[in-house]
Amino acid sequence: MGEIYSGIRENRPHTFNDLGDTSQNLEQDFNKGCLKKADRSFAQGLQCQQINSMAALMSLDDSVFIAHSPQGCIGCTTMATDGFRVGQAHRGVKLIKNPRIIVSNIDQNDVVFGGEKKLQEAITYAGERYDPKLIFIFTSCASGIIGDDVDAVIRDLQQTNKALLIPIHCEGFKSKVCASGFDAAFISIAKYILNKEKIKKIPNLINLFAPTTVSYKDQLEIERMLATLGVKANYIPFYSSLEKIKKIPAAVASTSICKVFADEFMQELADVYDIPFSHTVMPIGVRNTDKWFRGIAKIVGKASDAEKIIEQEHARVLPEIEKIRKRLQGKKVFICGGTGRSFAAALLEDFGMELVGLETPTYNADAQLDIEYLNGIHKNFVVDIANMQPFEQINLVKRLKPDVFIGVPTWAARLGIPTTHVLDMKRPTMGYDGILYLGNKIADQVDNPGFNVKLAKHARLPYRESWYTENPFKYIEE
Amino acid sequence: MSKVTENPRGNCVLGGINAVLGAIDRACPIFHAGPGCCMQTSAGESGQAGGKTPFFVSSVSIPSSNMLEKEVVFGGEDKLRSTIQGAIEVIDAKAYFVLTGCTAGIIGDDIVSVVDEFRAKDLPVYAIETPGFAGNSDYGYETVFKVFLDQIVEKERPKQKNLVNLLGIIPNHDPCWSGNFEELTRILNKLGLEVNTFFTQHQGMEEIKNSGAAALNIIVNPWLLKDAAEQYETDFGVPSLRIVGLPIGATDTTAFIRQVAVVLELDTVRVEAVIAEEEEYVYNYLETAIGVLSWKRFAVVGDSNMAIGLTRYLANDYSFTPLLIILTEPMFREEDKERIRNRLTSLEYAKAPTILFESDQYHIAKALAENEEITLLIGSTNEREIGLQKDIQCSVIFFPITDRLIFNRTYAGYRGSLTLTEDLYDNL
Repeated sequence: MGEIYSGIRENRPHTFNDLGDTSQNLEQDFNKGCLKKADRSFAQGLQCQQINSMAALMSLDDSVFIAHSPQGCIGCTTMATDGFRVGQAHRGVKLIKNPRIIVSNIDQNDVVFGGEKKLQEAITYAGERYDPKLIFIFTSCASGIIGDDVDAVIRDLQQTNKALLIPIHCEGFKSKVCASGFDAAFISIAKYILNKEKIKKIPNLINLFAPTTVSYKDQLEIERMLATLGVKANYIPFYSSLEKIKKIPAAVASTSICKVFADEFMQELADVYDIPFSHTVMPIGVRNTDKWFRGIAKIVGKASDAEKIIEQEHARVLPEIEKIRKRLQGKKVFICGGTGRSFAAALLEDFGMELVGLETPTYNADAQLDIEYLNGIHKNFVVDIANMQPFEQINLVKRLKPDVFIGVPTWAARLGIPTTHVLDMKRPTMGYDGILYLGNKIADQVDNPGFNVKLAKHARLPYRESWYTENPFKYIEE
Repeated sequence: MSKVTENPRGNCVLGGINAVLGAIDRACPIFHAGPGCCMQTSAGESGQAGGKTPFFVSSVSIPSSNMLEKEVVFGGEDKLRSTIQGAIEVIDAKAYFVLTGCTAGIIGDDIVSVVDEFRAKDLPVYAIETPGFAGNSDYGYETVFKVFLDQIVEKERPKQKNLVNLLGIIPNHDPCWSGNFEELTRILNKLGLEVNTFFTQHQGMEEIKNSGAAALNIIVNPWLLKDAAEQYETDFGVPSLRIVGLPIGATDTTAFIRQVAVVLELDTVRVEAVIAEEEEYVYNYLETAIGVLSWKRFAVVGDSNMAIGLTRYLANDYSFTPLLIILTEPMFREEDKERIRNRLTSLEYAKAPTILFESDQYHIAKALAENEEITLLIGSTNEREIGLQKDIQCSVIFFPITDRLIFNRTYAGYRGSLTLTEDLYDNL
């Protein structure tokens, strides 16, 4: 709820989003409290929080999604829509559905006279067409700046509407950290659906919070692992429903698959409903998976069971990991991703790779723990705290000359470096099975880099030659 | 006037502008906009147009001022200035276009003055003031042409008798845009014409600057670029020939050639030789697969340009039965709708289909559900759902396409009609 947390991630203490330095310097400066808030005087596009708010909820059953915005603000729903369609196919659904997305289509008139009437119209359409249980209304930069009173419109219409109307306040300009959009979604779920009502506990039920980046194979792997502990997961909000959301307070524990997903919300569930939670790491790589699994096992009182299961899993996967390690040992790697830190740890430990560069959106106390760990087993590497910023990335990659690049491959591939995309929404990445898939994927690329090597002879990057000789962090200003 | 729409097919003005700029060789958009607009517009246009990404800058590699609360309250002109400066230092572009997001548009930042500071230093920076909320991506496409004509096309270029501008196919929106340009260019080249597309074969700023030298604009689109056609005529003396719908197949492509030939007074012997050779090529293939596609009663859902071409090919050249044609882009002029209706109903043998102008997915699906005779549905990825419900063949040919990868595929012209026929083959 609003009064508990704001949902704007950069407002949290000791949080930095524009930073570049060596890992050793960062660790020291953070400890000494010397890191300063900065900004980039030149930057490339970011991901806005509205994209995350919409993506997080788009696979919910019996729901209509209204963007109170111009038509452009639903551009990225194409990715969530594709994920939803493919996700249905993976789950064996024969009659694959489209998500119901309605845009109020704020235009020049509405900017002058207000767009509330069109929002009312959109809500009416949603109810008439689909008789949904939930109607989510997402705000936008435009609706926020022109000052439409979305909450008032909803209060009004709720009195006569069968569906539950839920506003998500996710105006893009309010945050430069897209994960804030997850918080905005959970704030509204808490306020409009759960409403502090306490319900009867269901033994062995846990809340498993999962964002859209989790493939069905990953879901199955995580559920398999939890089943070995004798707990049942209420998988939320991906592919869930109003009924499943209402069951959240009945759980005996909560955990999340993603480090930046539902973390504040789980704290709120602990405060309001006494639901303990485990917030550890993303279960990628053996060490992280162990850590994640122990975390949730401890809370449900199955710590000793977990050790036995971990032992069995290790016996099964470690010999396979050893085979992959032989292929990747000592390879220099550059990693870019929202959960880059977890990947880094996984790759270093499981496959013996050498980290030369790490790009990740936020530096905070959590990141500090990971960086301390990485610095402990590894010499100095470069850290770029950036939400993408490919111009900095390509400058660094060209300098550091890694043997393999892990992250969005679009740019590094054109330098001829083997690339692997990690956050695969359609294929495995997580748990004990996922790391084998990921490891083999990386090793195959390293063994057979032909496509990128040949591509590099023809590919064109947009940057001036002079840029590659500049300080990559030139535009970060305190 | 934009309407409340379910699953609209296309993005905002900003998305339309960005899609077009993405196809100009080494052109760099600079967004003066909120933090998500680069991604939203790229995902909403090229991201749904068959899986390709503009090679130069796209999505999160586009320079952006990423306007946050501070800029909303205090104005973002300083942020824009440093963003343009950085873009020029870092990105090796032939031209930079500053685009206006909703945020900048509503708070009223003066982007023209900021851009003028760079223009004063002779840098190729252009301002596009139309903000995101001003309309949809079709309007964005037209807006870019307005910018070309007002700011870039050069007067005093010597006229070139054999040069034509080929317009009307929307890059990074029409999933087959580059293939379609390539096939029509191939045909026009065979007639001895040089072709400006602005967007293929590394064309770009130079071709745009020189487009006033052309003998003719060939606008392959039933309604877009009305104002641009007038401005080309009045400012640069370039007349326009409108081709009402993408020519697909022997009949319409031959008619297209003859229309161009008449206007440009091309050598008849050469023109007829090209036509004979091309028709021969098509029918050499068609006669090797007679009766392979079973008889269909079809519906089409998509933009009017492609819908016209497709419907006319299947009805006139392939003897399929057209039942229902749904044109999905919002149109406001009755004359445009009338022109499209005429073209779709003046068929050689087939009875005229029902024509519907509808942009809203709910109403589109409803109209399709109500027609029980359709056995082939040709639409976008959005139509898969109703196709599954009706248990009929659904071929995905139109924007938005998220379940196919398309490089140089074309459905236009002579050769494209063969590809289209291949893609409609269904062994079930």
